[in-house]
Amino acid sequence: MVSNIKQDIWNFSGYGGIHMTGWTGNILRVNLTAKTAKKETFSEEFAQKWVGGRGFAVKILYDELKPGIDPLGPDNKFIVALGPIAGIPAPNTGKAVVAAKSPLTGFYGDGNLGTRVSEHLRKAGYDALIVEGKADRPTMLYIEDDKVEFLPADEIWGRGTYAANDWIYGKYGKGVGVLNIGQGGECLNRYAVVRSLEGRAGGRPGMGAVMGSKLLKAIVVKGTRPIPQADPQAMRALGSGDLKKVQKIDKETGWSIQSTTGVLSFCNEVAGLPVRNFRKTHHPDAWKIDGERLNNARVATYGCPNCTMRCGITIHDHEGREAELDYENIGLLGANLEIFDLPQVGSLNYLCDEYGLDTMSAGCVLSFYADAIDHGATSGDFKFGDAERAKELLRMAAFREGEIGNLLAEGSRRMAREFGHNSEAYAMQVKGLEVAAYNCKFIPGQALAFGVAAIGAHHREAWIITFEIKHTTRESYGPEKAAKVIELQRIRGGMFETLVACRFPWIELGWPLDNYPKYFNTVTGLNWTLDDMWRTADRIYSLIKLNYLREFPGTTRKADYPPAVWFDPSNADTEGPIAGKVLDAEKYDGLLQHYYDQRGYDKRGIPTKDTLKKLDLVREAAEAEKCGKLT
Amino acid sequence: MKIRIKMIGPLMYEAGFSEKEMDIPVATTAEKLLDRIDISKQRPKIMTRNGKAIAPDEILEDGDKIAISPIYSGG
Repeated sequence: MVSNIKQDIWNFSGYGGIHMTGWTGNILRVNLTAKTAKKETFSEEFAQKWVGGRGFAVKILYDELKPGIDPLGPDNKFIVALGPIAGIPAPNTGKAVVAAKSPLTGFYGDGNLGTRVSEHLRKAGYDALIVEGKADRPTMLYIEDDKVEFLPADEIWGRGTYAANDWIYGKYGKGVGVLNIGQGGECLNRYAVVRSLEGRAGGRPGMGAVMGSKLLKAIVVKGTRPIPQADPQAMRALGSGDLKKVQKIDKETGWSIQSTTGVLSFCNEVAGLPVRNFRKTHHPDAWKIDGERLNNARVATYGCPNCTMRCGITIHDHEGREAELDYENIGLLGANLEIFDLPQVGSLNYLCDEYGLDTMSAGCVLSFYADAIDHGATSGDFKFGDAERAKELLRMAAFREGEIGNLLAEGSRRMAREFGHNSEAYAMQVKGLEVAAYNCKFIPGQALAFGVAAIGAHHREAWIITFEIKHTTRESYGPEKAAKVIELQRIRGGMFETLVACRFPWIELGWPLDNYPKYFNTVTGLNWTLDDMWRTADRIYSLIKLNYLREFPGTTRKADYPPAVWFDPSNADTEGPIAGKVLDAEKYDGLLQHYYDQRGYDKRGIPTKDTLKKLDLVREAAEAEKCGKLT
Repeated sequence: MKIRIKMIGPLMYEAGFSEKEMDIPVATTAEKLLDRIDISKQRPKIMTRNGKAIAPDEILEDGDKIAISPIYSGG
């Protein structure tokens, strides 16, 4: 199917693919330089070994990217990957994984986002899309079943995600699936995300910048065919029944009234809220931006496709626009910047969404900048609490405007290395990815969860704060916390990211986990248990670690440490529940060792040869050994 | 004796208040306090006293700040 002929439209004949249920069996490979499109098949062995989503993405990138390539160069590849239940009506299956080598962290990066692309790409006949090369002009990729078009995107290049998305809807109608980027991605801001207005944003470690580097403004997908399933009737009955059941649980518990934002008050109570670049853990004005106030200000509610518990609470921002907020936004663009004015926090969030910037990294970058000025590491006019200047700085970061904008666009770790003065100690990031909105100054297990999260300090992999506080002692650095982190990584970072589905019905409403193998088995005809899911998850975590080793052969266990400021006694709270306490470095190292021991990793945090063999990663291990040593 | 009590997230709508001062008898335990609040006993929850987790049989003290939260899971 591949050819050297450059053309703007490719048309495949027939549905193609090998016979497989649950998966389409096809990957669409597009090369923007050559303007070629190719439908490739994958084996059942590949499908069952990597399942989909994050599993497909990490395996494809591991096999196809040479270590050391420029993540913002044409050699990088941008992946959209789906799983066997993605797009099928069942609780919260309207998500897709986007992945590439990260320009923020320098190794494998990914994210998930709610989008109709999930359903449409599968209905078009593909489980994944690989985008290679670089276009010679701003381009929009249009995929409709067998047809692939390379269209000029000059009309929307330079425009924000809202306007670009509206233009696309005007051209193709509102039912299509869209992934697009804003000016942040176009200008190669390293924490630019991919946006989809049917859902939200995803790909924190600069997946939007990777699209921008390829001059790829948008991907539009329309699929019209059935998704192959072992028992479609049974899945329809199961999925539609369960959608109603989860909706009922949400209504009964009232979770969606405040959705994720209720946790702000909890974090403020237990000294786990990021305030003033994580210097403080609680604040008397936090109530001004809490879930209760947000719900009172609500003007609309948004959710992803197939959502049973819509979590996007929209308010009018300071300028009167609709801004959709969740906990991470109010935590990092609000409390962490000491901006306790909900409409102003809404404005900052709106700008991030419009420019296509990750709200979490943006909040940490701005708080780090203010903190660095406070501590004399750099000079500048930005202070905590200054919402108007924060808006200007976000614009400058998105457009890489001037020296400051260029610096802010680099992310907090690169900024710290530029500033010097030991400022990296309070650049709130792990492996280059900024920390989500949980202040672990004295929450050891969650600090570990950030330290060993696969792609950097993301909360989606493991969140154990309630477990630590309710079921163990907060002071403990014991093996039970490492075990809990692994348990959650398998579920959250593994199963949900490969199937691909939103974890919220399980994690927030208690929807039983064994429903997910049930969905998987109904569409694939297989007979998997949760243990099979965990094995796949462990394989994926190990391959991400091998990817890290290939990129950073001299890595040490220090890469799995959280920000140094959490260990600094001079940073201890002077009052409140954790007054005088910070993380203990020696004990943290012991906790990290518990994690390595339970995972079968060596002292650097790299899987041992024995572990890799057990996970059927012998060939991948041999590849890794060309760059770094395995033990 | 007086304590201050804060309900977090959806619990505030079930209980009918978000934060208030409450008069309770001396030697009231955390578990007994729940009898005075209109929320489901079955609902999983976590109680904190002055920011630290409190067990059901612990006795409350004058001036305590109690928070009752659903079990959040970090989104």
